[in-house]
Amino acid sequence: MTGFLSELALLFHIARRNLFTTFINFIIGLIILVGTCGQVAGSSLLSTLTSSMSKSVIGSAAGHLQVYNDASEDELAIYGQMGGQDPSLEPITDFPEVKKQLAADPNVKNIVPQGIGGGLITSGNTVDITLAKLRDLYRARDEKTPSTEGKRLTAEGYAEQIASVKEHIRQIVKVIHADAAKADALRDAKTVDPSEQEHLVTAASDAFWADFDKHPYDSLEFLENYIAPQAGDADMLYLRYLGTDLEAFQKAFDRMYLKEGQMVPTGKRGLLLPTYYYEENLKLKCARKLDKIKEQLANSRRTIATDEELKRWLKENQQQTREIVLQLDGIKTKTATTALQGFLKSDEKDLNGLLAKFFDMNDQNFHERYDFFYAQIVPLLELYRVRVGDTMTFKAYTKGGSVQAVNVRVYGTFEFKGLEQSPLAGAMALMDLMSFRDLYGYMSKDKLNEIQALKAAAPSKGLNRETAEDELFGQGGSVVNESVTSTIDEKQELSGTTAKKRGATLDENTYSQADFEAGVVLNVAVLLKNEHDLEATQARLSKMSTPNTHFRVVTWQKAAGVLGDFVYYARVGLSSAMSIIFVIAMIVISVAMIMATIARTATIGTMRAIGAQRTFIISMVLAETSALALFFGSLGAAIGSALILFIGNKGIPATTPEQYFFFAGPRFLPVLEPMHVISAFFIILAISALSTVLPAIIATRVSPLRAMQTDE
Amino acid sequence: MTRLLTCVALLAVTLPAVAADLTKEEMVKLLADIDDRQRNGGDFKALVYLEQREKDKADLVRELIVYRRDADDRLMMLFAKPKSEEGKGYLRIDKNLWSYDPNVGKWERTTERERIGGTNSRRRDFDESRLAEEYDPSFDGEGKLGAFDVWMLKLQVKPNVDVAYPTIKLWVDKNSRNILKQEEYALSGRLMRKSLYPKWNKVYSESKKADVWFPGEIRIYDEVEKSNSTYVLFKSVDLKPLEANLFTKAWLESKSR
Repeated sequence: MTGFLSELALLFHIARRNLFTTFINFIIGLIILVGTCGQVAGSSLLSTLTSSMSKSVIGSAAGHLQVYNDASEDELAIYGQMGGQDPSLEPITDFPEVKKQLAADPNVKNIVPQGIGGGLITSGNTVDITLAKLRDLYRARDEKTPSTEGKRLTAEGYAEQIASVKEHIRQIVKVIHADAAKADALRDAKTVDPSEQEHLVTAASDAFWADFDKHPYDSLEFLENYIAPQAGDADMLYLRYLGTDLEAFQKAFDRMYLKEGQMVPTGKRGLLLPTYYYEENLKLKCARKLDKIKEQLANSRRTIATDEELKRWLKENQQQTREIVLQLDGIKTKTATTALQGFLKSDEKDLNGLLAKFFDMNDQNFHERYDFFYAQIVPLLELYRVRVGDTMTFKAYTKGGSVQAVNVRVYGTFEFKGLEQSPLAGAMALMDLMSFRDLYGYMSKDKLNEIQALKAAAPSKGLNRETAEDELFGQGGSVVNESVTSTIDEKQELSGTTAKKRGATLDENTYSQADFEAGVVLNVAVLLKNEHDLEATQARLSKMSTPNTHFRVVTWQKAAGVLGDFVYYARVGLSSAMSIIFVIAMIVISVAMIMATIARTATIGTMRAIGAQRTFIISMVLAETSALALFFGSLGAAIGSALILFIGNKGIPATTPEQYFFFAGPRFLPVLEPMHVISAFFIILAISALSTVLPAIIATRVSPLRAMQTDE
Repeated sequence: MTRLLTCVALLAVTLPAVAADLTKEEMVKLLADIDDRQRNGGDFKALVYLEQREKDKADLVRELIVYRRDADDRLMMLFAKPKSEEGKGYLRIDKNLWSYDPNVGKWERTTERERIGGTNSRRRDFDESRLAEEYDPSFDGEGKLGAFDVWMLKLQVKPNVDVAYPTIKLWVDKNSRNILKQEEYALSGRLMRKSLYPKWNKVYSESKKADVWFPGEIRIYDEVEKSNSTYVLFKSVDLKPLEANLFTKAWLESKSR
């Protein structure tokens, strides 16, 4: 025992003495240092990134586990597939049964039914919207029914509102008329359609407005068909939505909070809009651009004078004043003109011209003009295309390929804590399950039977496209048939179960929890009590699937689709990089140790000659490498840890909206975990030990006699 | 002698071809005839069955009533079946094609490229024919389509006319002067749709004092999504006068109340 200890002490002494004796040792140490530092820093960064991304994904929609129909053609991808489209999933038709099965697991905390879809928000241009408002008022007045906005007014109330909207439309016609005259002067006369000008002259005439109420619907159709198309500022917005049990969602995803408005009342249809989308897409474009410029001036070193993008935004505002002008009626136009004349100290009478001057901003006057815009101009405008309380019309392609539209009331806007600036977390609206199912268009048995009956009544032989021409025209003969006129009776063809009747009451309907749960859903989010037991719970839940429920269970990472893959590829990338570094390190250490061993041939030979055993020589080489690994590994681990602690303290700011999602907030704060240091340390020790195998073998083969002869 | 025989042979080959070429005027006349025979002097109402077949999807089936008042260039389509589609419709007033959905009570201005009822049919498949008015023809040869002798015409849209497809190739039956086949091309020259017209029906119109022609069926093959096809069947036609105020938004709205 004493002999062993004294041998160990001797080995330690030799290793310590040789630590800095050669330049080669220093190179080896440097490689170990860099490798350990990289391993500690890389694994900490990746681990924190995975953890923060998991917070974003789990906390904003996915939950820890996702369950969906195993017969689905595609894999679930909560944030969409590569290319942006949503995966094709088979529906879960018996959610209550699936819920019952999942709830039996002791680690399951929340079960939230879901379904993701995408729809178009179509509203036409400013003129279309205003004319639709006027049509709605006339219809509500004449039919004594509430308007689509749900308002019911007195006769005087209708008269007042109708007069106000009419006045607004007259102002719009004036603006379009004036703009068209300017545009026509610049265009080639051949390309000018004279009928457009004639229609504008008619619509701008006093006679047209004097007679408007004699045939209001005819007058409206004239404006809708011949004036509105000339405004041409319509755009179509795409919005993804997550159909869900909104109460269950709010309970399960507690990072979600309301920014404006209220939760959808229990049992009602309704929609919550993500604030990010609301601001980016539904706000008045020029106001949004001013907001963004203000943000950039406050949070970055950008200036209007030096930044091309900021200049471009202002230029666009100068050129797109129409979106403001078309919103204003006569009185508001006058108010805005007077306010701008006073502010700009200008005699300009044209509001377009005044606005163009106003938006000609620079670093010196930006803040003053920004404040003026919000204080004086915005109160005259509709700042958002859709406000909380409004009804939005969604149009989507159903699974069967047809188009379905629903009206959904917007109850509020929401955000996820820490993900306020993230477009990924703020891209999906939350919708009640009933509206989602309407847009999804599930083909129920009744619907299928109805389709079969229609097909049976109009038998058509399906023809292959390749042979159709031969089959239809190959025989010759005549293609002409004598026919007779018959009576087509709408009353007979239409069942009377009209969509209008169904649609009118939807907003007033109250649904029970059983109603919400009874229909189809596409996927189910499962939140766990103990998230560390993820894989085991996934395995247990997977086993619960029966031929009846036939579901598949995936982790949040898999459910995140492309985003989940990002973490996977980052991990693979880091592991590959570290593996390459370590293999190189191993080769370099090995070569260096061989060189060191050859350089010490005489010493080793002498040691062997005075009685050192081969095991001692091996131990000596191993001890020297271990000493290097211990010293430089510790130094590398310390530097790596210090780097992570420093970055963790300062944080890396998210510079792009996507980074907000990956970082689960505005800054990336990497966390150092002891496990990262310990594992890096052991990896470097193992690699160092492995690299000594070859030098040790060479050292043991040194013959004392030859070693001494070499010296001679 | 050999030279003379060669000249005679060449003449024999080329003369019939030259004789068979349609002049510009003849082609315009042919298109005008095709348009005119499908136009009714009075009103026109048809019950149409629509079926869209797509790979891995349930067939999409619709039944709709098509209303036309050719004198005023008016068109309306009212969906009658299935129940989920009932009350939806389209209304064309001059250059505007409006779609209406009673589920939301809203009108939306759509374009010529609108897929009617989610199928691969377009407004032009149901509306009165305006080939002579909208396109300039050029002769593309003559040939055979199955057992039928046909003229092949290439049509190019006229300036400032909005159509779904700017270029059309037609195969017109020489015998009956009906369109048998039609290919529609995008501006890029890409073939988008192929339509076959195997049956043409004619019915006597009191208001026109002549026959009104309409396709018995149209088979539309999607040339982009090759597995998709659409079947249009004109089940019956009614030529009685329609209500005076039928081609209005208010009328279509009233059908879903």
